[in-house]
Amino acid sequence: MFTYSLQGLELTADVSGPLEVEENETTARSAVYQVLGAFFAASPADAADGERWSKELAEAATLLPFAFEVGSVAVPNGTSSDDHAAEHDRLLGGSALLGGAARDDRDAEIASVRREYEYFGLASSDEAPRPADHLATELDFLQYLCFREAATPSPRLVASFRRAQRDFLVNHVLDWVPGFVAATLAAGAGQPLAWALERLDAFLAADHDYVVARLGA
Amino acid sequence: MHSEDVIGLPRSEERASEDTYRSRWTWESVGWGTHCVDCYPGNCPYRVYSSGDRVVREEPSGTFDTVEEGVPDANPMGCNKGACWSQQLYDGDRLLHPMRRVGERGSGEWERISWDEALTQIADSMLDAIAEGGPQSIVREGTPEVAAVFPTDRFFNVFGGRTLDLHPSFNDFSIGLHETFGKWNPASSADDWFHSELILIWHMNPAFTRIPFYHYMLEARYHGAEIVSISPDLNASHMHADYHVPISSGDDAALGLAMVQVILEEGIADTTFIREQTDLPCLVRTDTRRYLRASDVRGGGLARDDQLFHWDPEQGLVEADRGNLLLHGREVALSGSYEVTLANGQTVTVEPVLAMLERQLQEHYTPELSQAITGVHPDMVRMIARKAATSRTNIMLGWNSCKYYHGDLIERAMCLLLAVTGNWGKQGTGIRSWMIGMADGMFTLMVKTLPGVEGAEQLLAAQEAGTAMMRAADPSITTEEIAVRELSRTLARVQLGEEGTMGMRGSPPAFWWYWQGNYRERWNNPEWGDTSLPRTFDEYFEEAIANGWWTGLDEPRPEDPPHVLIECGGNMLRRTRGGATQLGPNLWDRLDLIVSIDFRLNFTGLNSDIVLPAAQHYEKVNFHIPTSHTMRLTLSDRNVTPAGEAKPEWDIYRLLLETFARRAAERGVTEYGNGTGATFTPADMADRYTLNGYLTGEDQVADEIIRDSVYVGTLPEGTDLARMREVGFERFIGWGTSPYALAQASPIEMEKTHSPFRNHVELGDPFPTYSRRAQFFIDHPWWTEAGEDLPVHKPNPRSGGNQPLRMTSGHNRWSIHSMNQANPVILQTHRGEPLVEISVEDARARGVADDDLIRVWNDITSFRARAKVSPGVRPGQIVSYNGWDGHQYADWKGANEIEAGMVKWIAFAGGYGHINYSMSEWQPIPVDRGVPCDFELDPTPTNDGR
Ligand code: SF4
Repeated sequence: MFTYSLQGLELTADVSGPLEVEENETTARSAVYQVLGAFFAASPADAADGERWSKELAEAATLLPFAFEVGSVAVPNGTSSDDHAAEHDRLLGGSALLGGAARDDRDAEIASVRREYEYFGLASSDEAPRPADHLATELDFLQYLCFREAATPSPRLVASFRRAQRDFLVNHVLDWVPGFVAATLAAGAGQPLAWALERLDAFLAADHDYVVARLGA
Repeated sequence: MHSEDVIGLPRSEERASEDTYRSRWTWESVGWGTHCVDCYPGNCPYRVYSSGDRVVREEPSGTFDTVEEGVPDANPMGCNKGACWSQQLYDGDRLLHPMRRVGERGSGEWERISWDEALTQIADSMLDAIAEGGPQSIVREGTPEVAAVFPTDRFFNVFGGRTLDLHPSFNDFSIGLHETFGKWNPASSADDWFHSELILIWHMNPAFTRIPFYHYMLEARYHGAEIVSISPDLNASHMHADYHVPISSGDDAALGLAMVQVILEEGIADTTFIREQTDLPCLVRTDTRRYLRASDVRGGGLARDDQLFHWDPEQGLVEADRGNLLLHGREVALSGSYEVTLANGQTVTVEPVLAMLERQLQEHYTPELSQAITGVHPDMVRMIARKAATSRTNIMLGWNSCKYYHGDLIERAMCLLLAVTGNWGKQGTGIRSWMIGMADGMFTLMVKTLPGVEGAEQLLAAQEAGTAMMRAADPSITTEEIAVRELSRTLARVQLGEEGTMGMRGSPPAFWWYWQGNYRERWNNPEWGDTSLPRTFDEYFEEAIANGWWTGLDEPRPEDPPHVLIECGGNMLRRTRGGATQLGPNLWDRLDLIVSIDFRLNFTGLNSDIVLPAAQHYEKVNFHIPTSHTMRLTLSDRNVTPAGEAKPEWDIYRLLLETFARRAAERGVTEYGNGTGATFTPADMADRYTLNGYLTGEDQVADEIIRDSVYVGTLPEGTDLARMREVGFERFIGWGTSPYALAQASPIEMEKTHSPFRNHVELGDPFPTYSRRAQFFIDHPWWTEAGEDLPVHKPNPRSGGNQPLRMTSGHNRWSIHSMNQANPVILQTHRGEPLVEISVEDARARGVADDDLIRVWNDITSFRARAKVSPGVRPGQIVSYNGWDGHQYADWKGANEIEAGMVKWIAFAGGYGHINYSMSEWQPIPVDRGVPCDFELDPTPTNDGR
């Protein structure tokens, strides 16, 4: 059985449907968002454990309805935790993980993603545990939408959750993440960050195509 | 750019006036605006230019896209009121602060008070009212001003107040359309008019009332259509018509029936259409003059009473299919008589409705006979009838016919003309009323108890469960439209009274007027009603109550008097037929508190105890009436902050609920009941109103409306407030769930104009009537008793006296009701004070000259206005265009004071298929056209300052 696990968002509304469901293609998508979100929310020390992340991602991706290469992470020997932390700070510190920072008007972007969360019964605050436009929060939201798609008994809601996934990907996540991935890789990201960035980039593109195709069908 | 740049002149002090002028035409920001009032269909997208937090001007955006190739677009969309709307944001009658009267009601003496003082006094009065008579003693009439509707509805739902059905308050209920189609609101898109070949402007004056859309009629004419204007007077729409049919006022049923007689007699009727779409082939027993029913043929028990029959030349007696109208070429009988053996062994003769109808037409409504009623020459009748039979014909119906006592008969005759000529369900055809729908988020917002998508889903799922129950109970319900309508009829009788957001009590206002406004006295005047009826008004009324036709709805009873009245966005004293003359002593004086929430101080506000200033359009986020006439949702944005201390209605109600909770706590009121067993807790009402703070303000509310509409499937995916702010409007892509939208019964094709009823014609979807067809024979016992089972002509009753003249009305060109009557720009475009139009002959006979002040009177009372002597007005007629506010007349007595407010007596009927109440549908409606009156030169011209 699969259930969602939110870290940057909290549930505010009563929801229809069960809180856990049999694993299937859709929960697999939710699970991948869950792992990727957790990675970008993790502390430098936690994020450094490439083996753990690749294992978790592979497990999550088992039932995915489309091809997705998890790959393996080769963390160079001799990288100290201090090195990791310094590298993490250099590449992901400041506003690097904030989608709003990539836009002219961050406040508007925060208001916009917040409104998306709210309409689907979720809330975030600026403070805890991370901003509404943080990459991990945005991935959390996609995780939740996929889970609800899998769990809801209403065909109308299924369609709505799918549309919301597509729109959120197009209007928010895909609007800044590919640029952020490219820039971070170009800045010399090491492992396992480089692996995670490439997986993120590939998964977002594949999932977008999948959702669009499903909606078209 | 300065002037010297253009013509090389040096600038000097003397040229400062140019700068003044230039500064008027500079702005800092541009946003979207429209005027979300009852200028229906309106929806004109405007660009609003603001400077220094003041709107400096507006102009039509001209941005509606073309829908169908070859059909003109709607642009520029606008009217004279809209073009100077911003004047009213800063006019003298603008309400800027909460005010409380200090003198008598209506004395005009006010003091400015704080919001807190105002809300505290209102909250205390509400608590007093609840203690004395429950929350249902706090009452509001409905209002068509869409900006005020959904916050007010949600507010009343939360605390359990009483809301009166809005439709009778302004009486645009096309009752004859309802009697015929089981729904009153087909509404084609305005661009569909372009497809017409014959346009009958009938009970409408579109040059005045449809300013943004009138061009479609002219363009249709350039495209080859002919326009016929049918009216007693020569009005502005007559000017571009090909023919004018000068008919005596209110006698239109006779004209319509005469045209039908010609078409049937000349054999030019569309018999396939008649057979499939109407009840005209249904069989009627000649012994009882009632339909032949399955219960007759098969006996009681399981046989349904509403299963009717056709006569098939090959198969004999066959059931008229209730599930689908298509006959696939079968030619069921339209004439002849047949023998049928009933379940009890009796043999009876039956004949199709059409056979009875033809006899009646032959006997009473040949063109020659109708001329004696209408004054219309038989040649004219025949000419128009033949054109209608061979053309895509469109009856441009306003909301004038429905304001006649026998307006239903007029409209039934119009529908019959369309039926025999095959003129609905095709582009360029049909008849119209008004509709609201598609923006389903507006409706979910009134009642949702959960935020976001979950709340919308909960409501949709509930409706689905309800319609499934309806279908299970009656398998002949084959369409969503009928299922939803049946559900609405059922739910209308259930006073949910639940704590939460479904708490308000809804009532048809006829009972409010009857018991609380003392209209009982007027309605029981036998001289003022239909004198052909064999019984008194109260005999019908009491029978209706005894039969349970209004059970759960016939409120508020005398023992349940109102205490607090809240009028928001309306102008009840100006609007109500009978006005202050009737409401003053009978209702107004008994109320403990009257609150008016508006952006201007109107006549009702002047007679209130507390007035609260609402934000104007351009100062709040809202949408125009979502309607199939325009097929678009149009945004009016907050371009500037509200003037003075004004607030959007949404915020006013939230603050009021917070104050109410505080005062309830201070007075020890923790909960109260509403008489139905439900309890309400003041402490958390504001939270329920805002869904625990989820609906933080008007941006969030507007966005929720849009997103819920997207969820329901009526707006394109991805639409939200941010997108609307970019483009100003969005085209609807689906009908959604409301009965009025589903009533269109047509597919939405994005590249085609909308013409209602296509599903009835193309797919054979049944109509939501008793017979499941367009129904011209209504064998309800009251219709039989009234001699109205078939469409007939009846003279207009003399509601108000036996005077020789008749006052008619209509919307004016200069104002949306009373809303723009004090706009200084608009005032300069006409005579600038209340007037009535009178004929040259009547003026001469009474020694009245143009612009004289005259007194217009009948048995009820009188009012004074300027005389506009017009050769366009027919002798015997007085035209009083509506909209002047009560206080603009001498002595604060307007034209509505001489209206009796009579209702059609048999409109209290029920218990017969579509002759049953549901919200804003079947119910008694007060009428105001053809008011008996006379006039004289005013003997005491108190307001004549010239
Ligand atoms: S008042 Fe109504 S009809 Fe006139 S411009 Fe505004 S929206 Fe259009």
